[in-house]
Amino acid sequence: MADVLTRADDRPSAGAAPRPPGAVPDPPPRWRLTARRGRSGTNTLARRVLDWTLIGLIVALTVLALVAPLLAPHDPVQPVGPPKLPPFSDGFLLGTDQIGRDTFSRVLVGLRTSWLLSIAVTAVGLVMGSLVGVVAGVAGGWVDSVLMRTTEVFLALPSMLVAVAVAAALGPGLFNTFLAVSIVWWPYYARIVRGEVRAIMARPHVEAARMAGVGRARLVRRHVLPGVVPTAIVTASLDIGNVVMVLASLSFLGLGQPAPAPELGADTSRALVEILDAWWIPLVPGVAVMLLSLLSNLAGDALRHRIAHRR
Amino acid sequence: MSRLRFVGVRLASLLGLLGALSLVLFLLQEVSGADPVSATIGGNASPDAVAAARERLGLDDPAPQRYLAFVGGLLTGDLGTSFRTRRPVAEDIGAYLPATLELVLVAFLLAVLLGVLFAVSSMLRWPLAGVFRGLLFVGSTAPTFMLGILGIIVFYKLLGWLPASGRGGVTDGPTGLSVLDSMLAGDPAATGDALAHVVMPALALAVGPALAIGRVLRSSLTETLRSDHVRTATAKGLTETQVLRGHVLRNSLGASLSMGALQLGFMFGGVLLVEGVFTWGGLGSYLSASLPVSDFPAVAGVTFVLGGLYVAVNTAADVLQSVADPRISVS
Repeated sequence: MADVLTRADDRPSAGAAPRPPGAVPDPPPRWRLTARRGRSGTNTLARRVLDWTLIGLIVALTVLALVAPLLAPHDPVQPVGPPKLPPFSDGFLLGTDQIGRDTFSRVLVGLRTSWLLSIAVTAVGLVMGSLVGVVAGVAGGWVDSVLMRTTEVFLALPSMLVAVAVAAALGPGLFNTFLAVSIVWWPYYARIVRGEVRAIMARPHVEAARMAGVGRARLVRRHVLPGVVPTAIVTASLDIGNVVMVLASLSFLGLGQPAPAPELGADTSRALVEILDAWWIPLVPGVAVMLLSLLSNLAGDALRHRIAHRR
Repeated sequence: MSRLRFVGVRLASLLGLLGALSLVLFLLQEVSGADPVSATIGGNASPDAVAAARERLGLDDPAPQRYLAFVGGLLTGDLGTSFRTRRPVAEDIGAYLPATLELVLVAFLLAVLLGVLFAVSSMLRWPLAGVFRGLLFVGSTAPTFMLGILGIIVFYKLLGWLPASGRGGVTDGPTGLSVLDSMLAGDPAATGDALAHVVMPALALAVGPALAIGRVLRSSLTETLRSDHVRTATAKGLTETQVLRGHVLRNSLGASLSMGALQLGFMFGGVLLVEGVFTWGGLGSYLSASLPVSDFPAVAGVTFVLGGLYVAVNTAADVLQSVADPRISVS
């Protein structure tokens, strides 16, 4: 440990000319190059191409999710072949599951459910959170205190566990899962939006508008919201990967749709008993969740770059 | 004085949060429509027996009174009766909690270890640093249950190194933690067996938190090492050890501490999934058995116990952080 710290401390720039307070910090040493990749400070052509590719991929995925039932080669809930076929079998791209249903069709429809539900939860969280955040930030005073105390309580409780309890109380089903996750998801946005609103409210142009007698509604519409929206969208795009994971986890615990419906998390957990015999049956839907969350994380980061570098 | 006040405020907000958690669970119980009467005395009981049971359980009281009774139950360790096992939920949880705690504790140790390794490896010129970082990044985007499945396929099925399910060693010892009990029994073979069983589930649980802890540790270490007071300390001729001990470590510890606590808290959620994959036989298994039969008292009990632990751990971290960095308790 000590050796490591010494090395970082001994790098050539550490003892170089003193810099004035508030100046830009030294560039990271050469061997930390990999850590620098992905900061919004770099805006090379390669970065731009990569960003747009990732955003394009996620848009393509959304379109795919919308038309998934048309693309599925087989009925996802009916047995259509011999059970436990391995992937790349004749006519079954990803094999068949324990009772002979086509895994590819199930994964396709499961991805659709996962992704569209994640978008819905994120959108509800974003809208609800922004509403609370803007009201709290603009109103100030006791309204702000009450709303933010409530938000803090929600944030201090473990979201996954509370979502499990809510889903358990409401009973299984897609809409109830959606409701459960949405209920625990908005406070995060409320806090971020409220902070952003407070910062904007303190800016001179807002103050000037207020002095000029601009009403509250117009103030919010013309001067506050335009500043808040990009931050909120970036937050949501970075967050949607987490929503994917939480939804898949609830589904894995059995809090999604009831049995025959194709769902990635539930398919994984139901096929767990096959893991020694036909390991690909639980693996394939799990890998699909993993790729979905990886892609949404990367695309969220790409969108953040593009928003940071627009104009 | 100000430290004492800080601790007092934190403890008060801990109580407030536990109160909020109990309120949320009480409201959910109301919404769920779970009927403890038909669950305990059966659906075919006579109307008189039902009325008597409702009277006994206080179900016809007004809502605020029922909430107070609910909180009173929580305070005296009465979490209700499970619809499924027909036993007090508190007893069930007492039986399953040690297994879960053991898994979480081992996973937390692994997460801290991996997190430090991650922070260090990215500050070092080391050929595998990039590979290591990439693995951790991909691992952190994988759902926890997915890591468990991959682990079973690779380390059990392909390599045959580790067992794929259950707990090993002494599982009925005094502490309920199989690794510790096996050590206390002085049985090296059992200890090895217990460790072999715990390492894979713990690793599956630790990868995500390790990355989060490592990231925070790395950024706070680099930031502190670059700060003016560290340069001053070096310039006035202190030895490296003195600088590290007196000026760097304490300053970089705070953020990692609170991130560590946050991640320990997340593990209380993640452990439910890992237990499902490895049939670990802790609270996760209890919960998975309770969910399909809508055994709400059991679900609420597990949520309250794990949620309470989560809140308590975070409070403890806040206090520890104020010890590491006294400026926090001032502001």
